[in-house]
Amino acid sequence: MAIMNKKSKVSDEIPSSSMADIAFLLLIFFLVTTVFPRDSGLRVVLPEEAEEVEVSQRNVLHLQIQPNGVVVVRYGDSEDEQQMTPSAIEAIWRSEVAQNPNLIAAVKTHPDAAHQHMIAVLDALQLAGAERISLQLLEET
Amino acid sequence: MGLKDGGFERKSKASDEIPSSSMADIAFLLLIFFMVTTVFRNERERPIDWPSAAATEQIDEKRDNILYVWLERNGDIYINDRLVPMDDVAAIVGPVWLESGQRLIISLRADSQVPYRFVDLVQEQLKRSGAVYVVFATDLERRMTAERR
Repeated sequence: MAIMNKKSKVSDEIPSSSMADIAFLLLIFFLVTTVFPRDSGLRVVLPEEAEEVEVSQRNVLHLQIQPNGVVVVRYGDSEDEQQMTPSAIEAIWRSEVAQNPNLIAAVKTHPDAAHQHMIAVLDALQLAGAERISLQLLEET
Repeated sequence: MGLKDGGFERKSKASDEIPSSSMADIAFLLLIFFMVTTVFRNERERPIDWPSAAATEQIDEKRDNILYVWLERNGDIYINDRLVPMDDVAAIVGPVWLESGQRLIISLRADSQVPYRFVDLVQEQLKRSGAVYVVFATDLERRMTAERR
């Protein structure tokens, strides 16, 4: 009799009280592990097709990117050129734009230069806060 | 006497706990709702080597308004999983640009080693199609924060 009593105390239903915890755990697991595609990059706005603006040479900073990644910097109307790495451009731009707020960066990339070299220069300019940037193809002379 | 006891008994029958038996149903409903409403973009990623930049910023735009243009190392262009000749890019992007109400953002996902001549050609095509908002897709370059300021 005592044995019978003990048996009847065990419930014959599946315990469902922890079901909510299981479901929420699944929910949170999927929320956390969902990876959204990365949409990040460097923003630029291309000029409209017919847009050709004449700019005074005094307001242009020429940045010529060579195939090996070296950047030749030349101030608009002067003749002297400086060679530097893309990372040095940030400081150059900051000091130049302080003297001339209308300065435009003319980034001229050699056709054979890797995309990464242009990105490095664009990166330096955007880090320095440059907004007037012109992307061009370097014409071979 | 009997009436007083009956009153107490009736009150004590109401449980003072929040019923939790339907909690599982609620949770599963939420789970299924999110599974059903999640829209996956069925476009495949092309195997490219991402360029990196420290000034990389997140693009806050609806995904419908972003068009990916893949530019591989050999100059091949892929839009929506299809190989597109360079000269047809403008013809393909143009209608999408107008359909989006001139809000379309082109995410140009170019390989870091692709020669710039191809990037320039793509830009010319995009100018012709009218889509002027371009993002050069990059990975965030981790640098010392001291170096950035």
